Amino acid sequence: MTNASGSAVAERLSVGEVELEVLRRGSGRPVLLLHGLSTIDPRARFLDLLGRTAEIIAPSHPGFGLSSRPADFETVYDLVHFYLEVLEALPYEKVALMGFSFGGWLAAEVAVKCRHRIDKLVLVDALGIKVSDRETPDILDIFNTSPQEVLRRSWHDAGLAPDPNAMSDDELIVRARNWDAACLYGWHPFMYNPQLKRWLRRITTPTLVVWGASDGIVKPSYGRAYSALIPGARFELIERAGHHPEIEQADTFAKVVGRFLDR
Amino acid sequence: MDAWWQCEVPYPFVPQDVLTATDSVRASLPNRYCDPKIAADLFEEVIDEFLLCDDLGMNVLAVEHHAGINSLLGANPLLVGILARQTRQVRILSLGTLISLRQDPVRVAEEYATADVISRGRLEIGFVKSGGSEMASNNANPVNNVERYWEAIDLIKKALSHQDGPFSWEGKHFTHRHVNIWPRPWQQPHPRMWSATGDPETAAEVGRRGMVHVLVLRGPEGTKRAYAAHRKARAEAGLPKVTTDNFAYAAFVYVGDTDEEGVRVGSKLLWFLHTSLKSAPQYSRFLPGNSPPPAAPQLYRTAPPAGAAPGGAVLSAGQNAARLTSISAEQAMAQGILFVGNPDSVYRQVMDFYDKVGGFGHLSLVGRSGFMTHAESEKSIRLFSKEVLPRLREIKPVTVD
Repeated sequence: MTNASGSAVAERLSVGEVELEVLRRGSGRPVLLLHGLSTIDPRARFLDLLGRTAEIIAPSHPGFGLSSRPADFETVYDLVHFYLEVLEALPYEKVALMGFSFGGWLAAEVAVKCRHRIDKLVLVDALGIKVSDRETPDILDIFNTSPQEVLRRSWHDAGLAPDPNAMSDDELIVRARNWDAACLYGWHPFMYNPQLKRWLRRITTPTLVVWGASDGIVKPSYGRAYSALIPGARFELIERAGHHPEIEQADTFAKVVGRFLDR
Repeated sequence: MDAWWQCEVPYPFVPQDVLTATDSVRASLPNRYCDPKIAADLFEEVIDEFLLCDDLGMNVLAVEHHAGINSLLGANPLLVGILARQTRQVRILSLGTLISLRQDPVRVAEEYATADVISRGRLEIGFVKSGGSEMASNNANPVNNVERYWEAIDLIKKALSHQDGPFSWEGKHFTHRHVNIWPRPWQQPHPRMWSATGDPETAAEVGRRGMVHVLVLRGPEGTKRAYAAHRKARAEAGLPKVTTDNFAYAAFVYVGDTDEEGVRVGSKLLWFLHTSLKSAPQYSRFLPGNSPPPAAPQLYRTAPPAGAAPGGAVLSAGQNAARLTSISAEQAMAQGILFVGNPDSVYRQVMDFYDKVGGFGHLSLVGRSGFMTHAESEKSIRLFSKEVLPRLREIKPVTVD
C-alpha cells in the first residue's frame, strides 16, 4: 500500500489495481471502518469522538465515493478478497474491524475468513444474512421502494437525513456513484449471502453488534439473530436511532463502541 | 419503405381514481385491476387486427412490456408463435423478447428458431434494451443491463447460426454447457436482427453490427443523432456504408378519411404518454445505472441550488416527464411522434420526418393504444395499407453518407 497524498481528510491509496479513497481520523488503536450504502461524511461527529482514542481508517469501497472500480470487479466476493488484501497491506499486525450496514456484511465475511488480523469486530445495523422465511424479506429493498419510504425507514428522525438540495454537485455525484455501486454488488440476492449464516460460527474475534432501535431497513430482531449466530457476540441497542446510530446518536454510539474497543 | 403495424395491447380499463392514487401504473399496480375476460377480448381484437394486416400486406410487429397498464404483452414469444402460424404472408418482427431480463438466452434462441420455422422464414428478430420498471418486474440488475444485452445477443446469434453440434458458452453473464438447438432457423444463417436504442454508445454498436436500427418516439433531432452515430461508427470501423434499409422509426400513426377524423381519433394514441408512463421514482429517475453519475445534481435536487440562474437550458427528468404526460396532439405532431390525418397528410408527415432525419427504410406504426376501439383501429389499418403504404413502398433504399 502506498500513500499517494498527504491530505488530512482524504487520502489516495493504491491497493492492487484499485485507486482507493481513504478517510483517516484520530490516533490510537487502528480501526478499519467499512462504510455502508453511502460513503462516510468526513464532517460526521462520531469520527472525532472515536478518533480521540482510535486511528480510524475508512476507505470508500471500489466504485463508491471517489474510489476506482476495475472492470468486472462487481461482486461481494471481490470486495471481501480486496479487504483481505487491505488488511495484509496495513502496517499493523491486528486491527479492529467495524462495518456499517452493507460494510457490516463485508466485515462479517472478512472476519469469517481471517481470524489472525482482526482483534475486535463491530457490526452496526449490518446486512448480509437471511433470517426469515422465503416470503418475508429481512432487508428493505431500497431499489424497489419509494424514496420517501426508504427515508422514513432509515431514520428515527428523518430531519437528520442529508438534504440533496443542500449538497454540492460533487457530493450528489458521489451519492449517485454510491447508489449504483450498492446496486451492482447487492442486487441479487438482495444484500445477503445465503451461505454466510452457516459460517458465522467461525468468528472467534470478540464481537459487538450495535443496532438502532428504530431501524426500518434491517430491524433489531434481525440484529439479535445475527448476533446470536456469532459465538460470544454482545448485542447493544441504541434508542432513538434508525439505520445510522453513528449519526443520530453519535455520543451514545461512540461511548458504546469506544468502551468495547478499549476493553 | 416498409411498414410494420404494432399494438402493445394496453389495458386502459382501470378506474381513474386508482390511477391517480397510485405512484406507478407499471410494476406495482395490483393485477386485481386486470379483468382476464376483458384481457381476452383485447387479445382477440388485437390478433384479428394483426390478421387484417396480413390480408392487406402490412408487416406486423410484436412488442414486450411487463406488469402494467401500458401493455399486456409480457410474453412476447407467445404472440410471435401465434402470428407465425396465423398470418400467411407478411413478415413478423419481434421487438422483442427483453433479452437482458431473460436468464437463458439459449431458450430465447429456441423460441425464435421455432417461430421462424413455423412461419417458413418470415421472422425478424429485434432486441430492446429494456429498463425502468421492467427491471423490478423481472428481477434484473439494472446496473449492468447493457452488458447482458450484448452478451445475450452474441449467444442467441451463435445458437441460431451454429450447425455443427453442441458448443459451450462461458461468458460473464451467461454460461451454458451444451448449446445445440432444434429446429435451426429457416432463414440462414439467422433471421435479420434489429435493435431499438437512442443513446450514442449503443447506437454505435448497433451500427458496427449492421443491425436494423430503430428509434421509438424520439423526434427528429434525437433520431438523426442516433442514425449519425450508427453511420459514424461504421465508417470508423472501416465497414461498408449502409442504406436507409438499416434505419427504422416508430411513431403513433392514425389515418382517417379526413384530417379532422385522423387528428381526433389519432389523439387517443396519446393515452400512452398521458396515462401509461406514470412510473414511481425508484423505477425511473432513481433507477441505478439509468443515468451517468454526473447527471445526479439534476436528478436529486427538488429545488434549484442557491444562486442558480432561473430557466436553465436542460429540463430536469421530472420536467421532461411532465412535458410528455401533458403533451397535446399539436405538440406531438410538431415533435414528429404523432403522424395523423387523412392519407395524404399522413404520407406528407412521414416524408417530412424522412427528410429531416436523412431517410429511413421502415416505419413502425404504433397504431392502437388507450381507448381506441377495434373498429377505429381497423379503419386506420385499411386506409394506411391501401392509401399510404403503396406510396411509401416507392421509396427505395438509398445509400446514406
